[in-house]
Amino acid sequence: MTEANENKQTTTADTEAAPVEAADKPAAPVKTAAAKPAAAAKPPVEESPETIAKRAEAQKRLDEMKAILEDKFGEGALEETGLQKFQPTLVIKPEYWLPVVTYLAHDESLTFNYPECFAGTDYPAKGFIEVALYLYSMSNGRFITVKVRTPRDNAEVDSLCSVFEGANWEEREIYDLLGVNFKGHPNLVRIMMDDDYKGHPLRKDFSVWEQQ
Amino acid sequence: MATTELRTEEMLLNVGPQHPSTHGVLRLVVKVDGEIIREATLVIGYLHRGTEKLAEDLQYTQIIPYTDRLDYLAAMINNHAIVNAVEQAMDLQVPERAEYLRVIVAELNRIASHLLFLGAYLLDLGAMSPFLYAFQERETITQMFNEISGARLTYNYMRVGGVKWDAPPGWIDKVRAYIPHFREKLKMYHNLVTGNEVFLGRVKGIGAYSQEKALGYGLSGINLRSTGFKWDIRRNKPYSIYDRFDFDIPVGKNGDCYDRYICHMMEMEESLKIVEKAVEQIQDGPVMGKAPKILRVPAGEYYASVEGAKGELGIYIVSDGKDKPYRFKLRRPSFINLQILPELMEGQNVANMIAILGAVDIVLGEVDA
Repeated sequence: MTEANENKQTTTADTEAAPVEAADKPAAPVKTAAAKPAAAAKPPVEESPETIAKRAEAQKRLDEMKAILEDKFGEGALEETGLQKFQPTLVIKPEYWLPVVTYLAHDESLTFNYPECFAGTDYPAKGFIEVALYLYSMSNGRFITVKVRTPRDNAEVDSLCSVFEGANWEEREIYDLLGVNFKGHPNLVRIMMDDDYKGHPLRKDFSVWEQQ
Repeated sequence: MATTELRTEEMLLNVGPQHPSTHGVLRLVVKVDGEIIREATLVIGYLHRGTEKLAEDLQYTQIIPYTDRLDYLAAMINNHAIVNAVEQAMDLQVPERAEYLRVIVAELNRIASHLLFLGAYLLDLGAMSPFLYAFQERETITQMFNEISGARLTYNYMRVGGVKWDAPPGWIDKVRAYIPHFREKLKMYHNLVTGNEVFLGRVKGIGAYSQEKALGYGLSGINLRSTGFKWDIRRNKPYSIYDRFDFDIPVGKNGDCYDRYICHMMEMEESLKIVEKAVEQIQDGPVMGKAPKILRVPAGEYYASVEGAKGELGIYIVSDGKDKPYRFKLRRPSFINLQILPELMEGQNVANMIAILGAVDIVLGEVDA
């Protein structure tokens, strides 16, 4: 029992994660104009000053990040920028994907060292597959989303395994379910489906019913 | 006497997918040199049910029971993750009483999940009795969940905008009475296990990794906190009403199996604190807010996460404004946490294999989705 008491390191953290900036708090309880349920067509409610301030704050951070990346990689590196709710989002050109993420992760003032979420989405109407990566900076509490788009019929993106070890399985999952080929991945094989499985289930043209 | 050189040979050992200590259907292919593991490969996907694909064909309320089947040991928290994500995307408000009920059941579920960890982990290490004690207490929580939701494992209790049912009469008092009772039990577990020499020999200094490693792998939950990194979604990105409660975030120091064990034990105490405050503050009132019958998330992309029993449980929704998600991605902590395992096993003794696997605390339902 004495052993146990000695080891109760309740709050003595070696490192303490920086608190999240104000913009990431749960969304303010206001109905935005877009949130119009069809059943009960409510009149669009005006946005609260809190929401407007939060959006301005997020926009400021987006502009900051945009300036940093354009300064470093030139104007051609970014395809599109915008806000998703309050999340700054930058779409990176495929040829800049690996260098930009490497820079974001390793630069001392940015240190986006935590890959929070990888997600791939198929957009057949637009003709591309999008890989999104939610990055978090544990040291200064900042967060951004970076994305890369690749054509559906020849989906290929640089692998991030050299930047984040955790990218290995995440990229295998996206490869398996969406058919994106990650260049430079050490072990790009199926992870969820059988090895001899044909097709990529999360693509929109994959029908669950036709597979019987 | 002629000395003959001892011939050694690497052997491929297959563990699982049907093996009790893999906690489900996980397959390990380990290359062993005598008793030492040279390389370990994980094979997963045996339980893949295509939840993300199925969700694209379901309305948001219909997805909730599917989340029950991810981390089936903490289904209340999974429910919380999805309703929280949809509510944040739609800017919906939840009545106070519903928020309190959510927090109470989520924290009780965290205790139940950690109790299962305690029991199963000790069973992995060869100790039978802690399993029986842990399951006795877990049973009480399961009974309480049965009373409030009508199910013992897959609760389907929360709804977007509130919870399905109010607590039955006397339920809150039952929870209140359970808190001091469980505190006593926790002391007993510590007496039984924490100071045990044999146990310490099996877990101290085993399976350790650094903070940088943990971050690079994207680990979350206790697997990240055991390295001394203070990161808890309930505190760092407060959702629901967690900002109203005062609780500590237990962290480890060395990132080894012992730290992960002790973090589980201490988190149960912290969860009790939250439940204690919540049953004190809960008021009467409605449990379901104003939410449209057909939920239509405004077009856009959303990501929201909660602190699951195993780590950060995130939901990424891409909506095109319809009643069904265009893309529904789950950030499943077990899947991400499991990835570090081959690295931890390299160079270890075969006997430590299960000790390391057990401490990572995974649920295969969540790994495979």
